[in-house]
Amino acid sequence: MASPVEAAITEIASKILRKEVDLTTVNNFKELGADSLDIIQIIVRVEDRFDIELLEEDLQNIKGVKDFVAYVERRIAEKNN
Amino acid sequence: MSFAGRTALITGGSRGIGKAITLKLASEGADVIINFLRRRSVAEATAEEVRAKGVKAHLIKANVGEPEEIDRMFDEVRDKFGKLDIFINNAASGVAKAALELDTRGWDWTMDINARAFLLCTQRAVKVMPRGGRIVAISSLGAKLAWPAYSAVGVSKAALEALTRYLAVECAPLGITVNAVAPGAVESEALKLYASQETLSRPDWKQTPAGRMITPEDIADLVLFLCSEHASMIVGQVIVIDGGVSLAPINL
Repeated sequence: MASPVEAAITEIASKILRKEVDLTTVNNFKELGADSLDIIQIIVRVEDRFDIELLEEDLQNIKGVKDFVAYVERRIAEKNN
Repeated sequence: MSFAGRTALITGGSRGIGKAITLKLASEGADVIINFLRRRSVAEATAEEVRAKGVKAHLIKANVGEPEEIDRMFDEVRDKFGKLDIFINNAASGVAKAALELDTRGWDWTMDINARAFLLCTQRAVKVMPRGGRIVAISSLGAKLAWPAYSAVGVSKAALEALTRYLAVECAPLGITVNAVAPGAVESEALKLYASQETLSRPDWKQTPAGRMITPEDIADLVLFLCSEHASMIVGQVIVIDGGVSLAPINL
């Protein structure tokens, strides 16, 4: 069962990549055919959706989709605290 | 050269060259509206620097690559300020690819943000400049040269420069001047995306005939002049500011 954040990221990625994607089946966005332009657009939309900032210095260390979802959830929690 | 009572909108005004322009206009007394795309905390910090100068700062988050967001931004400008005196088209983006590797998405992304946004923003800006105004776009020496990996941005800046001329002729009778500035390389985060490591590692790459690399503040000084009363007869020009490096291009 996808978390609300994972579901939202899935919806955003599907819109950007113009196809239905399932984030649970891949390790990273590149496996879905995403290039660097897609990834920056996904990041900008995720920031807008949750009104958070994803920091370049943190994003450089993200290892894959699971890591990215966890990072977004952490930033949302930090904003709410 | 007082800008007291004037209102300026600077796209991409929270960081880099845009921030220098924002602070310069604020130092001269202008209230500023800072458009930004992503980092609200960075934009807030710039806004605080502006307010410390005793003028107003207002933030608008918007992606100028999206026409609806440009409309929303100018609706907010109109509703909150009623008018605009200065519009600085500074926000820019682009994919770093050779022309032969450029795909349609990279082309569209770059052209939408760097060239189309200038057109759409100016169309909206003139509607809130009933008593005239100043519009300045930030171009690049790359509009006329061919740097590695700069194809998309260079072409978009060439479009921006041509638009500057067309818009200038249409806006001049309205008391609005439209000009552009074309800086040489400025040390910034953006530069790291396009300049090669090999170039950046050369000890002489920052040299210009004028003895040093230009800074964001140099560009802000030129923009300030173009926004002043002293520049009312400069119409549709692209002013190069590069320390002379384009005339003696040893390090380009």
